[in-house]
Amino acid sequence: MISGSNLERVLSSGQFAVTGELGPPKNSNYEVIREKARILKGHVDAVNITDCQTAIVRMSSLTAALIALSEGVEPVMQMTCRDRNRIGMQADILGASALGIRNLLCLTGDHQKFGNHPQSKGVFDMDSIQLLGMVRAMRDEHRFQCGEEIKGPEPKLFLGAAANPFADPFEYRPLRLAKKVDAGAGFVQTQIIYNVEKFRKFMEMVRDLGLDEKVYILAGVTPPKSLGMARYMKNFVPGLDVTDDVIQRLSDAKDPREEGINICVDIINQVKEIPGVAGVHVMAIEWEQAVPEIVSRAGLSKRPEPAGIQPALVSSDAIDEAVAQAREQAEATLREKIEKVKAEAQASRDLVVKEKERVAGEIYALKTKVEELTGMVKNKDAQVKELTAELKEAKTAAVTVQQAAPAAPASGQAAAPVAAQLGAREQAALRSLGLGLDALRKALGLDEAQYEALKRFLEAEFLLHFNISPAPVQPAGEPVPGPVPTTVEPAVQAQPQPEALQAPEEAADEEAERRHKQVVRLVAKGNLLLHKQDYSAAIEAFEQALEIDSEDPKAKDGLQKAKAAAGAQAPEAPAGPAEEGGELLPPCPDELTPDEWKFKWVVRWTGRGNVALYRGEQQAAIDAFKKALSLDPENEKARDGLKKAEAGELGPGPEETKTAAETPEPEQAPVEAAETPESAQAPVEAAPAEPAPPKVEKPVPEPAAPAPPKVEKKAPVAAAAGAPAAEAMAGEKLSLSERASGIPEDLFVEKCTGRIQEVVLGEGDNALRIGGAQALPFHVFEGDVPNPPQVAYEILDFEPEEWPEPLAQYYKGEMSDPVAWARKCVDEYKAKAICLSLLSTDPNGMNRSSAEAAQVAQKVVEAVDVPVIIWGCNNAEKDTETLREVTNLVGTKKVCLSPLTDANYRALGATAMAFQLPVVAATPIDVNLAKQLNILLENLGMQLNQVLMDPSIGAVGYGLEYSYSVMERITLAALTQQDDKLSVPFICNLGREVWKAKECRLPSDDLLGDQERRGVLLEAITASSLLLAGGGLMVMRHPRAIALTEALIQGMM
Amino acid sequence: MKGDIVGFCCNYTANVPAEVLKEAGLVPETLRIRRLPCTGKLEVAAIMDALADGAEGVFVAGCRVDECHNLTGSQRASKRVAYAKEMLKELDLDPGRVEMIFVPRGEAGPIIQAAREMKTRIAGMDDAMTRALESEGAEQSK
Amino acid sequence: MIIAERKPLNEILGMLSGVRKLLVLGCRGCVAVCSAGGDKEVGLMAAAIRLGRKLSGEPIEIHEDTLVRQCDPEYLEPLAEKGGDYDAVLSLACGVGINFIADRCPGVRVLPGVNTSFYGANLSSGEWKEMCAGCGACVLHLTGGLCPVARCAKSLSNGPCGGSQGGRCEIDPSVPCIWQQIHDRLKALNQEERLREIMPVRDWTTAGHGGPRRRLREDLLP
Repeated sequence: MISGSNLERVLSSGQFAVTGELGPPKNSNYEVIREKARILKGHVDAVNITDCQTAIVRMSSLTAALIALSEGVEPVMQMTCRDRNRIGMQADILGASALGIRNLLCLTGDHQKFGNHPQSKGVFDMDSIQLLGMVRAMRDEHRFQCGEEIKGPEPKLFLGAAANPFADPFEYRPLRLAKKVDAGAGFVQTQIIYNVEKFRKFMEMVRDLGLDEKVYILAGVTPPKSLGMARYMKNFVPGLDVTDDVIQRLSDAKDPREEGINICVDIINQVKEIPGVAGVHVMAIEWEQAVPEIVSRAGLSKRPEPAGIQPALVSSDAIDEAVAQAREQAEATLREKIEKVKAEAQASRDLVVKEKERVAGEIYALKTKVEELTGMVKNKDAQVKELTAELKEAKTAAVTVQQAAPAAPASGQAAAPVAAQLGAREQAALRSLGLGLDALRKALGLDEAQYEALKRFLEAEFLLHFNISPAPVQPAGEPVPGPVPTTVEPAVQAQPQPEALQAPEEAADEEAERRHKQVVRLVAKGNLLLHKQDYSAAIEAFEQALEIDSEDPKAKDGLQKAKAAAGAQAPEAPAGPAEEGGELLPPCPDELTPDEWKFKWVVRWTGRGNVALYRGEQQAAIDAFKKALSLDPENEKARDGLKKAEAGELGPGPEETKTAAETPEPEQAPVEAAETPESAQAPVEAAPAEPAPPKVEKPVPEPAAPAPPKVEKKAPVAAAAGAPAAEAMAGEKLSLSERASGIPEDLFVEKCTGRIQEVVLGEGDNALRIGGAQALPFHVFEGDVPNPPQVAYEILDFEPEEWPEPLAQYYKGEMSDPVAWARKCVDEYKAKAICLSLLSTDPNGMNRSSAEAAQVAQKVVEAVDVPVIIWGCNNAEKDTETLREVTNLVGTKKVCLSPLTDANYRALGATAMAFQLPVVAATPIDVNLAKQLNILLENLGMQLNQVLMDPSIGAVGYGLEYSYSVMERITLAALTQQDDKLSVPFICNLGREVWKAKECRLPSDDLLGDQERRGVLLEAITASSLLLAGGGLMVMRHPRAIALTEALIQGMM
Repeated sequence: MKGDIVGFCCNYTANVPAEVLKEAGLVPETLRIRRLPCTGKLEVAAIMDALADGAEGVFVAGCRVDECHNLTGSQRASKRVAYAKEMLKELDLDPGRVEMIFVPRGEAGPIIQAAREMKTRIAGMDDAMTRALESEGAEQSK
Repeated sequence: MIIAERKPLNEILGMLSGVRKLLVLGCRGCVAVCSAGGDKEVGLMAAAIRLGRKLSGEPIEIHEDTLVRQCDPEYLEPLAEKGGDYDAVLSLACGVGINFIADRCPGVRVLPGVNTSFYGANLSSGEWKEMCAGCGACVLHLTGGLCPVARCAKSLSNGPCGGSQGGRCEIDPSVPCIWQQIHDRLKALNQEERLREIMPVRDWTTAGHGGPRRRLREDLLP
């Protein structure tokens, strides 16, 4: 164990690992990460946290990894080299390790161009392999990249790398992986795999390198979320190989998401079996919800118990714990406070008691005073009585008792309000008190106010005295000693009591919570099973839930449903297959109502019926329509179809039935239709080849009729052009021998020692003899020159479009027909030989077949008596084929095959020898190559008197001098150095070179003059130059140029 | 002169002297024809100079692409005209002030047409040049 | 050679605001070869500025000159003397020339007429391509003569990244993957083992990250 990470533990224990992927948000919302982490938790062993993938700014991988960790999910922190240099990266690595991150995936990173800041500066201080090396050195050697020692704890990280088996160069990919392993990678996650075969090959190469022993390889997989996503990955993501099969599966799928999961699971099942694969890396891009499903379907849902996941920062459990602690603390402080308050209350109670005592003391003092006063009053009373007695005594004399009587009520009135409340005895007492007071007032001389005060006081005292007999002073509600302790204390105690109770209550809550969770889990499980139609298991789950909480409404509800469903299933089960018979109506998918589904299938069956109808499969059509009708007997289309099918109205779609019915064999109608284009094409293709069919007459007569007079006009012109030239030549009065007469011959004659081979083209009277000279060209005075040079007319096997008008006009009517063309050359222009260029066979051009071309050649050869040189298209392979074909068709010996090159001389040389035909050996302007080809032909067994050399020709201004000098050197070698390998006559195919020159194409103008004259002269001058260089046979095009050339030859010989 | 137009023509395309055309009233008086041996010789600087020296429009008449006497001369010229158009845009000028036309050899018709078209086109433009000329005119009238 | 590219005319006219007498100064070194700052381009630039200033109604006097090189002191001497006669000198040389003028010619206000782009080769007329990054620590002997620092989008040292597809770079299909080419070339040269070696982390100080670079050769110093 290097890092103690959970992933490392799982991998090193040999268990098949599963990792997931989590993309941090493009904002500061940490809840997103927590939610995604919760989805993945328990289904994977670790989760990759991407580092601004595709170079789009997101929350940093370090931060997001910490948040995931706090959720109890082990992160694999990704780190790219794009955004930080070695300083920043090492800093983050230290921090990551310090905060409990244990896995690091080292990447180079996507180029910033792909992201949302394409203008940014990519750092790329190092690449992924160097990054691996750097982190390993930090971990294992305790050194920073610069070599400085890390004092204190080093970063402990399980290092990962990425590998892409689908990028190029494929053969190098395992080697690059080996470099990553050498640099320190402990595990590897691959690019998304769709092409399992290619991955298998990659793994084979990986195993050959022994890498599977050194590193844990996790195969990367991704469920395609949609067809669009798969297509996008296929077409736009470099280094991703999405197979056509995947695309097909998705496009066929009814539910692409479901199919995407299936595809992913299939791939996992396949890669699981590949030796060396230690796990899978499931990348559900923005579709984390799919991961649990994929993992479970792939049979990987039993993940090893996670270990070693210790967030250094907060986790939710830690938060809960902290909350509990805080609550405890808060309770403790609260309790303390209560104690304090209680103490304070006690203290204040004591104070109250003291106060009470003090007040009681004061009251007592007052009481005594009152008693004193009362005593005084009593004394006064006694005095008053005495006085009254005195008064009575005095009254006995003068005042009657009646007079005294009204006075009593008067003094009694003052006390009336009070008196109203009093009993008679008290009233009497009061009255006497009042009387006493009056007397006292008088006696003491008190003023009114004094008197009143005294009176009130006494009344009050009196009242008090009367009402509360047990306690001397007691106004209700006032804090008086007796009852206070009993009322205050319970009130204060009552508060802490519920608080104290809370702890056990909480324990109960937690228990309830746990039970509730269990119930929820069971209910969820039940629902899932219900969904999967595993009713008995669902019932079991719900029942378990109800055992724990018999009141749970969801569980009850679920149970009811499950039972209902189980009940429904039982009777349905037998019914199902019966209805499905012949796949009439497959089970309805969830997202559709049965009616919709049924309608779909009616349409589908009707469609099938129509297709069958179209194809003429009567029985199949009837079956299909019947099925449709069995689902919906009212469907009109199906009914119509059935009617038609039963009536045997087969053939192309219902609308075309009528027309199809008219044809005798409707079933073959499409076949015939398919044939028509071919038959239509055939005449078109045949037209140019065979001008005979009457249909083609229309275009032909137009050029055919006016052409002869036009050409007749021109032809004499051509002859005329020749004639004056010949005359001009003939104008030289003195022959050379005459001019030279008198000069000793040995002064100017240089006899040659060699001789050019004589090659015979054709047979009989029309045979042409080429070469045979013993002297330099036209040096007739030096040796035997038996044969003058000859000219062959070049014709093409198709109508050339690019021939300039001044040339084309001579063959206007014939160019479309090689036979007519050849005949015209022979009949009108007295051609002694024809060169038929089979240019139409060029594979880069019209690519006419060899057989067709050979037929044309055969017709031409049969049509004329003069020798015919058959010239291929200069494609060695095609020419071999074509010329062989020609020899098969043409029986006569008047044909010459050309060109033979070093590429095809063996095949064509052998053919020529077999038919005893002369050949043209073509080489590119080089003495040695020409000689070599002759030697090769000789080695093959060919006589050199069957060979003409084509040294490659350039027109005037287009490399003539080069051709000239090569030919001159060859001629000299043959004649003066007896180089018999070179003593072969030349054939010069110059017409084609001349007439493609710019000068022949520019129209007539003042600067360059008449276009035709220009072309004719260019061809004639090229020919005359080549004649002087030793040319034996000229291949030319323009009749006037040929006339000029022939005149020159005639004059020179 | 207001509405000056310069036409660069190769030796092969312009065989009727501009004076003759002007005398015949076939082209605007303001047309100046500059003959070149081949439009392939034309430098972008010459186009800019023509505009800096008072021309309001420039056209380059080269041989038809398939009949250039020097094979690719007129194609070369057309690429340079395209470059000049880019420079005009950078100067907030209508790129239509420089145009390439391909004409058959020795025909005056297309050149006459090009000159006339250029004149009408210039009249309808609104760019840095028209504004400069307006303010110039305003100053002169003061 | 150093490849440069003409700055847009509106940007140049912006820097020339207030300038009444201007010298457009070309260089017959690299910028002439890559058609950005030779005699021909000086002529074109002068014509374009004249036109631009004419349009804005502020005529300008422009002189044109082209030096053999703007990066050697002897060629700058005349400019040091006479450069002050101009309101500004618009140099069409690479950034080196402009800096050198600023260093050597006090009183001359020098302005850039081109953007200096990269060290490249001339693929064909009108096409240039970056071939060297001037990083100061050449590894071409390890990579078959093809530079991953200049020609890999990520300057990778240890082989092609996962974006190499069919010999093309992921950033743009028109860009070849240089590592694919290095791979093919080393294979052809029978040096495949090079591809297995881990190239150590690079020292970028020589690439200018260690501060401005300078080279001294005692034996050549005056």
